[in-house]
Amino acid sequence: MLRCKLPAATVMAVCILIGACGSEPQPPLVATDIVIIEAMPGKQMTAGYLSLTNHSNAAISITNVSSPEFESVEIHESLLDDGVAKMRRITELSIPANTTITLERGGKHLMLMRPTGTSSQVTLSFQSGDSTLLSVRAPFTPRNN
Amino acid sequence: MGPKNLLFAIVLGSALAAGVFVATKLNRPPELQTGFIVPLPNALPDFSLLDQSGGLVNADTFRGQWDLVFFGFTNCPDICPTTLQVLANARRELIDSGATTVPRIVLVSVDPERDTPEVLGQYVNYFGEGNLGVTGTLEGIKTLTGALGIYFEKSPTDDGYGVDHSAAVLVINPDGEFSALFSAPHLIASFVHDLPIIMGDD
Ligand SMILES: [Cu+2]
Repeated sequence: MLRCKLPAATVMAVCILIGACGSEPQPPLVATDIVIIEAMPGKQMTAGYLSLTNHSNAAISITNVSSPEFESVEIHESLLDDGVAKMRRITELSIPANTTITLERGGKHLMLMRPTGTSSQVTLSFQSGDSTLLSVRAPFTPRNN
Repeated sequence: MGPKNLLFAIVLGSALAAGVFVATKLNRPPELQTGFIVPLPNALPDFSLLDQSGGLVNADTFRGQWDLVFFGFTNCPDICPTTLQVLANARRELIDSGATTVPRIVLVSVDPERDTPEVLGQYVNYFGEGNLGVTGTLEGIKTLTGALGIYFEKSPTDDGYGVDHSAAVLVINPDGEFSALFSAPHLIASFVHDLPIIMGDD
């Protein structure tokens, strides 16, 4: 009987440890697959692509994106309207609860305008109103052709 | 298996074989994926524009080789470079697969105000050697786009403007005629599959 109780106690201890790990707060907004394209020679703007996952149980609204490496960052959407390519600004990007939104080529994207220097890395901050939801840092990706 | 079943199997078997044979026959010439051949090729209009070195571009510039023509502008960060990259990759795949006919890539600017020959040159050369950039006067551009059914229109933004533009890629044959087109969205595989058929090189 004693031999049986020992493993039970071990399991309890592991559970407590896992519980401790699980209680570490998970950030509500997470960015993955970040691809910031190197600006083309002579161009003052480029595009960025990434996935944004809202891990919380409430919708998240991104109203501003900023970067010290660019004077201006906007969220845009490329669309095909009856064979015509258009690009429009999105002033508020809403990510529903527990949902991932992908910014990709030919669709929603970050438009990064007027580089402030020649950094090889870019820092992006995603804000909702006055609060910063997420800051990420990524290298520039050469446009692969 | 009884004789009746055997006969059924033979009939079914030969029917399947015949079907495969017919399907194979019908597949020649192979079908296009996203390309479309214009029933009556159109000659280009009279126009006078500039290439990225400032040299003259007119209808004669489009004679003597196959051209893939896209209309865009260099301040376009998403659709235009993505399309040029698709064209450049398709061209490279054609070369790698041993195709004897490989088209030239042409970008005609729909923003001649900002796309000077020099600006356009930096842009098209970025996607490979031998690409042609076309710019010039707005009237010159409109003469060309108007004849080809290409639409473009400025669209104001917070700090300037963008240009909405037809996203199709046109194919100009070596006689300088608009002979086929690809509709967006553009896929490398479709160009690699369709171009040899369009250019009669399959
Ligand atoms: Cu954009």
